[in-house]
Amino acid sequence: MITQFRDWEQNRHTYAKAWKEKTGGKVMGYFCTYVPEEILYAANILPVRILGSHEPHDVTEAHIFGMFCPFCRDCLAQGLKGKYNYLDGVMISQSCLHIRQAYTSWIKHVPIDFSYYLPMPNNIQSTHAVKYLAGELAQFKVAVEKWIGKELTDEDIKHGIEIMNENRGLMQQLYSYKKNENPLISGEETMEVAISEQMVDKREHTPVLKELIDKIAGGAGSKNNGTRLMVLGSEDDDIAFIRMVESVGATVVTDDHCVGTRYFWNNVENNDDYLEAIARRYCERPACPSKDWIERSRIPHILSLAKDFDVKGAIVIQQKFCDPHELDIPAIIKALNAIDVKTLFLEFDVTVPLGQFKIRVEAFLEMLQEDDLF
Amino acid sequence: MAKEFWRWKEYNWKSENINWNNGAIITGGVDVGSVSSQAVVLVGGELFAYSSMRTGSDSPMSAVNSMNWALEGTGMTLENIKYVVGTGYGRVNVPFANKTITEIACHARGANLMYGNSVRTILDMGGQDCKAIRCDEKGKVTNFLMNDKCAAGTGRGMEVFADLLSVPIEDVGELSFYVEEEPPPVSSTCVVFAKTEATGLLREGWHKNKVIAAYCSAMAHRVVSLLERIGVEDDFVITGGIAKNVGVVRRIAKEIGIKTLETEYDSQIAGALGAALFARSLAEKGK
Repeated sequence: MITQFRDWEQNRHTYAKAWKEKTGGKVMGYFCTYVPEEILYAANILPVRILGSHEPHDVTEAHIFGMFCPFCRDCLAQGLKGKYNYLDGVMISQSCLHIRQAYTSWIKHVPIDFSYYLPMPNNIQSTHAVKYLAGELAQFKVAVEKWIGKELTDEDIKHGIEIMNENRGLMQQLYSYKKNENPLISGEETMEVAISEQMVDKREHTPVLKELIDKIAGGAGSKNNGTRLMVLGSEDDDIAFIRMVESVGATVVTDDHCVGTRYFWNNVENNDDYLEAIARRYCERPACPSKDWIERSRIPHILSLAKDFDVKGAIVIQQKFCDPHELDIPAIIKALNAIDVKTLFLEFDVTVPLGQFKIRVEAFLEMLQEDDLF
Repeated sequence: MAKEFWRWKEYNWKSENINWNNGAIITGGVDVGSVSSQAVVLVGGELFAYSSMRTGSDSPMSAVNSMNWALEGTGMTLENIKYVVGTGYGRVNVPFANKTITEIACHARGANLMYGNSVRTILDMGGQDCKAIRCDEKGKVTNFLMNDKCAAGTGRGMEVFADLLSVPIEDVGELSFYVEEEPPPVSSTCVVFAKTEATGLLREGWHKNKVIAAYCSAMAHRVVSLLERIGVEDDFVITGGIAKNVGVVRRIAKEIGIKTLETEYDSQIAGALGAALFARSLAEKGK
């Protein structure tokens, strides 16, 4: 049922190279999900999210601090090792300093035709944030136009919004089926779909996603009636970890991280000023901790997810040294525990010790079970 | 061949007062840890027999050997045991287990019987890891934390020091108090670095008791940080092999300001005992 998504996810570089050859278009590698892909699609550029490989490496020591998070180091390693040598451009939208360091080091050491730093505001709750970001998007649009040698019309931008919105809407629909008592799609399968949407042309991804949803709506798929968990916290694209969690009796029914719901949870709403509409979407999307202030919006959002998806427990992941999440996690754990959702905290590195984590996950599931053992 | 000071004594025990052939339900628990394996047999929920031995390179064989040794001289065979729960790192390698349950749940359940239902915090100091466990009055886990990424604060670390200092591991705890004043702890983050540091201290002329004290102190300090993260609630107990090392136990109690409860049971069988207790519940429920 998810063969195509898995193939895309596992052969992401092959896919992007083939796309480039087939279309003659440019490929933009991007760090962080605050990058406005609408404008890239408007310009017929393929946005490909830069992710790590979860393999040990020894190439970043000279370029990035040891106490920066393993995710940003792993991403940079991919660039230094030439894994993304097909990229025409690379860009970042401001989120945290660690991933920005990966971007900065990348453009310094990996020759690239185009690079762009988009100053996405951190204070997204400011009354000036949307206007400010819309202005930045206008400048970004000009830079893209200059790069591709073509002016982007309102119609182009509108088309980019439609491509993104359609795919996001379908992902929201897919997740709505995970609210069912026995979801017909596992957390591992869902992650394959979610990761692939960040690197595959959405015009190809969307029809396959529609087919998947049709199958699930028709009752196809396997029962996933394990203990209902959510996964939240730092970036997590570790499929092997999710597979392990589900192999010992859990079903991951929802998440709050940037390779999951935070990426697609809200759409660009209709507005005659397309850039302002895009800016509003990125300012109002579920926040990551680097942008979640002065009001803490993440906690009510996470609690709402936990209730809507009827989760029994939450695995809280922190990439080692990820300061923004480290700051948020105690308050989130406290809030979840207060509504009787127990939590398991795990610290992630480039490679994940599945054996050690398995014991913890199993013990956590035993803790969540009813008193069968007593 | 040089004497191996780390080699702790293996043992078994059987009750002289229980008639196992009286129709009471018989259950077993086997805890195959990274360093040691224990087997426990209960008759009608009463402790009937147990053994503790080193885990070899063959986990299934360790499980079989530990159970056979526990049953030695009792007249009971494996066939008489209705339900067995495997636990520990090698829990999936217990060939005769009906079910596996993590050692975290089993230690909490075992401690509940060994120390009473007032136990709320358990520190399981095992061969290669440490677990801080919170539980309720039934011995059900309510929260837990494990040490990360290194073996400091574990039994294997203590074995390394026993060998380095040529002190039988059973004597390490007592000897750590034969010092004029408490030395500062050695490195508490890595067994290998701690050993390097200890070698340097010996060269500087430190008496081996002082080095032992410095390591016991480091080990205590290391696990206290784990306890502080989860929060210690009375009553507090320590299980696992290190619970027998007074040098570490008293220093932990001093650091956290809470005394550990004592028990007539062998603290090292807590995991296997908990497994056998779970086996009893599961057997009674027909699961």
